[in-house]
Amino acid sequence: MTNRLKMQPRKHEGTKRLVGLVFAVAFVSLGSVARADGQDLSVMPIARDGQVVVSFELSEGLTEDVRDAIQSGLPTTFSYELELRRSTATWFDRTIAAVTMTATVRFDNLTRRYQMSRTLDGRVEDARPTEDQDAVRRWMTRFEHVPLSTTSALEADGEYYVRVRAHTQPRNTWFFWPWGHDWVLGRAKFTFIP
Amino acid sequence: MPATVTSITPRRTSGQGRPPQSASRRPFRDNPRLILAGIGALVAVLVAILAVANRTPRLSPDFLTEFVLYALSAADLTMLVALVFVLARNIVKLVVEGRRARPFARFRAKLVALLLGMTLVPAVLVLAVGSELIRTSVERWFNAPMDEILTSANQIAGDYYHERQMLVSDHAKRIARALASVNLGNPDVRPLRDLLAPDVTLQRVQMVEVYRVGRASGSLPGLEPVVDVAAPALPPGYSRAAADRLAAQALTGSSDTRSIETLGSSGDLLHAAAVIRSKDGRATGVVVATDYLTGDLAVRSRRMTQAFEDYNQLRVLKRPLAGVYLSFFLMVTLLILVGATWMGLYLAKRITRPVQMLAAAAREIGAGHLDQRVEPQSNDEFGSLVEAFNTMAGELATSRRNVERSTIELERKHIETEIRRRYTETILERITTGVVSVDAAGAITTINSAAARLLSLDRAIVGQPARAVFDRADLQPLRALLAGAGRAKTEPAAQDIAIPRQQQELHLAVVATALVGDSGAPEGVVLVLDDVTPLIRAQKVAAWREVARRLAHEIKNPLTPIQLCAERLRRHFAGGPPAAKDLVDECAATIVGEVESLKDLVDEFSQFARMPAPRTVPTDLGQLVAETLALYNGIFTDVGIEQRTAADVPLVRLDAEQIRRVVINLVDNAIEAMERRGQIIVETQLDAPGGVVRVIVADNGPGIPPAEREKLFLPYYSTKRRGSGLGLAIVRRIIAEHGGSIEVGDNMPRGTRFTIELPC
Repeated sequence: MTNRLKMQPRKHEGTKRLVGLVFAVAFVSLGSVARADGQDLSVMPIARDGQVVVSFELSEGLTEDVRDAIQSGLPTTFSYELELRRSTATWFDRTIAAVTMTATVRFDNLTRRYQMSRTLDGRVEDARPTEDQDAVRRWMTRFEHVPLSTTSALEADGEYYVRVRAHTQPRNTWFFWPWGHDWVLGRAKFTFIP
Repeated sequence: MPATVTSITPRRTSGQGRPPQSASRRPFRDNPRLILAGIGALVAVLVAILAVANRTPRLSPDFLTEFVLYALSAADLTMLVALVFVLARNIVKLVVEGRRARPFARFRAKLVALLLGMTLVPAVLVLAVGSELIRTSVERWFNAPMDEILTSANQIAGDYYHERQMLVSDHAKRIARALASVNLGNPDVRPLRDLLAPDVTLQRVQMVEVYRVGRASGSLPGLEPVVDVAAPALPPGYSRAAADRLAAQALTGSSDTRSIETLGSSGDLLHAAAVIRSKDGRATGVVVATDYLTGDLAVRSRRMTQAFEDYNQLRVLKRPLAGVYLSFFLMVTLLILVGATWMGLYLAKRITRPVQMLAAAAREIGAGHLDQRVEPQSNDEFGSLVEAFNTMAGELATSRRNVERSTIELERKHIETEIRRRYTETILERITTGVVSVDAAGAITTINSAAARLLSLDRAIVGQPARAVFDRADLQPLRALLAGAGRAKTEPAAQDIAIPRQQQELHLAVVATALVGDSGAPEGVVLVLDDVTPLIRAQKVAAWREVARRLAHEIKNPLTPIQLCAERLRRHFAGGPPAAKDLVDECAATIVGEVESLKDLVDEFSQFARMPAPRTVPTDLGQLVAETLALYNGIFTDVGIEQRTAADVPLVRLDAEQIRRVVINLVDNAIEAMERRGQIIVETQLDAPGGVVRVIVADNGPGIPPAEREKLFLPYYSTKRRGSGLGLAIVRRIIAEHGGSIEVGDNMPRGTRFTIELPC
């Protein structure tokens, strides 16, 4: 039985730190921190056949910067950190299971072919070449039934949520505060009913 | 006693309760080895930064953006926080130390601010300019001509590969159509090889591999290799694996029927697969045609593409790269600022700490702790200064000990001198000899009480010019004597002078002695005054006694013959004529009477001349006076005699008979002076400070003119119609032989007042 309750995509807000403000005057002419706007990470957890699998899609994931990076021949990786968590009222939320899914693409400008691969927790799951950019987009941003956990770890009628954090490597980030600009977050709650 | 030397050591700002650090664990700022090591580490960091910056373009993008940029940013933030912390800490310390009035706080703050200011302004300017330069330089890396060249080159290489692939693909398809009617299951493959050989020999392709659909074989399910024809120009070492995978992929209906197999520097193999179909459309096999791109061509194509990709990757990563360079720049700037701040603090402490210790030690020494020392902290100029300070403190301590010893000796001598001076002063004050000293300038420096009393001067004249003081009429002789003594510097000048004093003469023997210093310079004159009035009087009395004795001797001898002759004449003329007899009787009676009077006079003279020395015994003076006055009770009815006796008069050594005679003489004189009508008061007093008792006999009679007072005590002077005139002379002599004195003065409101002073 699946139960998709609510999608709560949320973008991580970049924060100007005080320290950054100190030198803001000195570097104001150098530009601002690049952030990927318009992106949305939709998440759909499914508990079925004793498994919690997650399907998710990063819309507008291939931004102009990412496409430029891919077309330049840079191995470009989308990393997705999937966490199955349970909320607690008085403490930090408890993480029940976590996996890291990566999708990497490298474009060969000589043969004009894309070499794609996917890993799950460091293990290569799939690899294939293509010349189709749409295939690349789907490869990098759309994932179906990624196994996250077994349902044995879940309590009946328990409220859970799956949080997916996505970021791109290499980061086209800016100086002076490189931490955490380009995280894109998606979250979906569900109630586990065996 | 050995001196206890205490040392001032550097004050630790943290925790006074901590045990002092040993010499082997000196603080970082005082340890040259650690400082050199720190500078070496800083230089190593700078070199590492430069090395990393130099290698930045060759770093992998992930390493660059995921590690280097983070590390640099973290280092920048750490140094920024450290800089802010150090500055904030010193600002807080400055405020606190300023409120506590700690010395050198402002100096340290000024030094740090100066060094930081000197560094901050150029560093920030260089940072701003350098940052803008980096940003513009990064932008200039990418320009249109370069972009067009690299894009075109990549396009050419890519198109060439693509065309070669398409050509190989066309050949594969053509061969596949040609093999549509060929039985691929025939074991004899020579006809098939002959069919394929022209394509290879004509170099349309470099290799053709034919598979037929059959039973599963190894990793290629459903495909079996039938024949392959390869040109001899193919490089050795290629494998069939790529062709096998492509054939299998084509058989599955995939649209991706091309692949490129890279042989490294030997070149590339371009594979293209085509499915062989029979006339009824059934797949009977797969043909894979392979073209070969030589090594040079492939390498050059790869280089063109690589240059294009590098160029575009730089474009993509220009922001992280610029960030890395800016981080480098910022790091160096912060290193300089932190270094300048630390250097300022270090220099300030290096300068102020020894000075603070010296100031503290100076305060201790100023407070009298001369054994205070400063512990040397370095061997530089400050160390030399500390050594000099300690040497000075040691010499001061030694000098102070010498001074203390000298002071003790001086105090002892001063006490001795003071005792001697007081002794001398006491002598001067107690002696009856007057002493007046005059300094070289002519000012009176000393006058003892005897001199003040003799000269009737106030002792407040000390300091006044002697010439002005002795300008008084009665002291003119002293002025002249003083002037003469001043001129005669060797021999004392002696002179007897008489000073009128209360209508009497005070006879003084004055000796003026000039004081001459060791250098011969005049230091003044000292006058020594001796009251010789009693001596003069005694000399007069002695003279009169001698006169009286001779008079008595010379007069008494002829008196008896005269008396006998007068008696003989009276008897001779007893029978004579009555007139003669009467005349003789009258004359004889007169002669006999006058002779008797002369005898009485001569007896008094004899008594005056032969008066014995008093035999003194302790006597109650008041009782003696009372017993004497009792003799007058009821005799003189119009004379009142009152006795006033002080209760504290002690016993006085005197000859009671002689003193009684004195009192009787004075009372008789008073009664006679008052013509036996008036009031007489006899009073006894004690002058303890003067060491005398006084007997005062005062009447309210007509008094004695001042001009006659001095003559009263001379023999044969009398204001009475009868009497010898020796009464007061005898009184003075008795008093003088008792060691006392007698003075006469006016009684208030009227009358005469005799004052006798007897030592007690």
